[in-house]
Amino acid sequence: MLRASMRDGRAFAPAAFLALVLACGGAAAAACQERPLRAYLPGGTAASGWAKDGEPQEYEGEGLYTYIDGGAEIYQEYGFARVVIQDYKSAAGKSASLEIFEMSTPAAAFGMFSFKRSGGGKAVQLGSGAELESYYLNFWKGRFLVTLTGFDDAQETVSGLLAIGAAVAAKLPGDGPEPALVGTLPAEGLKPGSVKYIRGLLGLNNIYPFSTARGLGFAEGVRGLYEDGTTLLLLDYGSAGSRREAWSELRAFLEGSERFVRVGMEPTEHVLFQDGKGRFVAFGEAGSRLIVGVASSATAALLIVGRAQ
Amino acid sequence: MARKIGRREFFRTSAQAGLTLALGTGLATASRAAAPKVKASIVAVGTGGDYEQAAMKAVSLLGGMKKFVPKNARVALLPNVQSRHPGSFTKPQILRAVIRMCKKAGAKEVNCLSWQTVKQWEDTGLKAVIDAEGAGLKIFEKDEALFKPVPIPGGQALKEARILAEFYSHDLLINMPITKDHAGNKFTGTMKNLMGLNSPVNNRTFHRPNWKTDPNDVAHLEQSIVDLNKAVKPALNIVDATEIIVTNGPFGPGQLMRPEKVVAGTDRVAIDAYCAGLWGLDPKDVIQIKKGAEQGLGQMDLTRVRFREDFA
Repeated sequence: MLRASMRDGRAFAPAAFLALVLACGGAAAAACQERPLRAYLPGGTAASGWAKDGEPQEYEGEGLYTYIDGGAEIYQEYGFARVVIQDYKSAAGKSASLEIFEMSTPAAAFGMFSFKRSGGGKAVQLGSGAELESYYLNFWKGRFLVTLTGFDDAQETVSGLLAIGAAVAAKLPGDGPEPALVGTLPAEGLKPGSVKYIRGLLGLNNIYPFSTARGLGFAEGVRGLYEDGTTLLLLDYGSAGSRREAWSELRAFLEGSERFVRVGMEPTEHVLFQDGKGRFVAFGEAGSRLIVGVASSATAALLIVGRAQ
Repeated sequence: MARKIGRREFFRTSAQAGLTLALGTGLATASRAAAPKVKASIVAVGTGGDYEQAAMKAVSLLGGMKKFVPKNARVALLPNVQSRHPGSFTKPQILRAVIRMCKKAGAKEVNCLSWQTVKQWEDTGLKAVIDAEGAGLKIFEKDEALFKPVPIPGGQALKEARILAEFYSHDLLINMPITKDHAGNKFTGTMKNLMGLNSPVNNRTFHRPNWKTDPNDVAHLEQSIVDLNKAVKPALNIVDATEIIVTNGPFGPGQLMRPEKVVAGTDRVAIDAYCAGLWGLDPKDVIQIKKGAEQGLGQMDLTRVRFREDFA
């Protein structure tokens, strides 16, 4: 089931190729096929003072489970195609690991980037968006997500991550804006770096676990944190009809769950619950979207939902 | 590189004198040989930036390694080598301390058992320690013939484990996880680490198609982990809570937290509950901890656990 498909850069599994054809589309697909991921690895003097250390590893499709035992599912949820991993070493003996993930779409690459960043790191100018943490760097560009990991936080190591990252970014093709749904979050008070774009339940569970799958078959979603401590979650179901059906399911679950208590039963525009942690969770509807506000007070939860409608 | 947390002393309540919780017959004792029993609900915590010292202190607070490792015993060790990213694998310094303590206690042989690759052991620096300390590294192919079927009486989701047969040529197991984040169930600790001794094929039965998202499938995974822990009972658990990833687990890279603690004891549930609290998780929200407590594997209520802590 969890087939290991480490490859040498020449063979290319039909299933993975099909995924890339679908992901890349038309002429771009041919380019994907012709360009093994290792072609994007900096070599020689591309990153000054750093050189490749050993051979690259490559995995595609379900082969990712071999590389990231226990952690591959989130990549698959967003849409994973293939990855190449290459170690680098500096003249002073510092080490770094480079991972280039090719995702199915730019939205999938941005989503995985948003999932992996903490929001507490330093934003840097690289690719379409980048965040530098104390010992690692994530950035995305087009369909690609790049993670560089140092094995300490020494200045030389961090400088190396940035240099290798810049060399990779210069080689990677494509570009693309963030998913449109991200732009629908109210901007006022939105914490920079807090936005997480999700494509399924695993992403959602790491943001706010409803402990159910009922009514949560959304097509895409986005989460933002606000300066006043509120959380806003927009779940898009593709159509108003799908959203209505899903909300009905989710609401039935919440009303029957021991973890949630309905607050106020009179008919209003919004529906309000309190969860087992004492947080207020407000729901509103707008076209294809279900709007969820989470806050420590009922007023704040309702207000953030109202702002998003 | 990492955020340090202060000297939080968790639940250092002096529970009623002599309180010894019945954790299920034999569950807290050595798995294979007649390792001497110790009180079940004592959790020892060694703290400090010298991780080797912290590990030694934690074991010392339990009465020393001789309480767990009989003379001439063959000892199996199970560190976590899942990833080489900082904060995602058991620190080599802790492994070094444990090997040395076992040998000093009179162990005849100390071996790390694994079906992971040699490269993983090399990349994490653990193999270098094993070699330097004269311990053994026994790596096995993922061949089902190398795993022994072990029925689990009382298993709810898992009726039979398949444990590395080589384990049964050892007298006892010291379980050595690193506690860290997990994108699926939010937590990894002593109980989940035992999957490293179970066959990968059997482990896969823990994972139904939506094992990280569908509540029923999640519950199946968590119950399988609890059941596995009914089949294998470490003589001692020594947990790396020194520098750990609290996001993007279990693989990383992720945000590091540095509690600088090594946590030791025989009560897996109590240890996991304590470790979960290190980064703000409520043990009741970690299904495997909750189920483990409900099914007699240990004590989740930390006000009923006796803590021995030393700040090195």
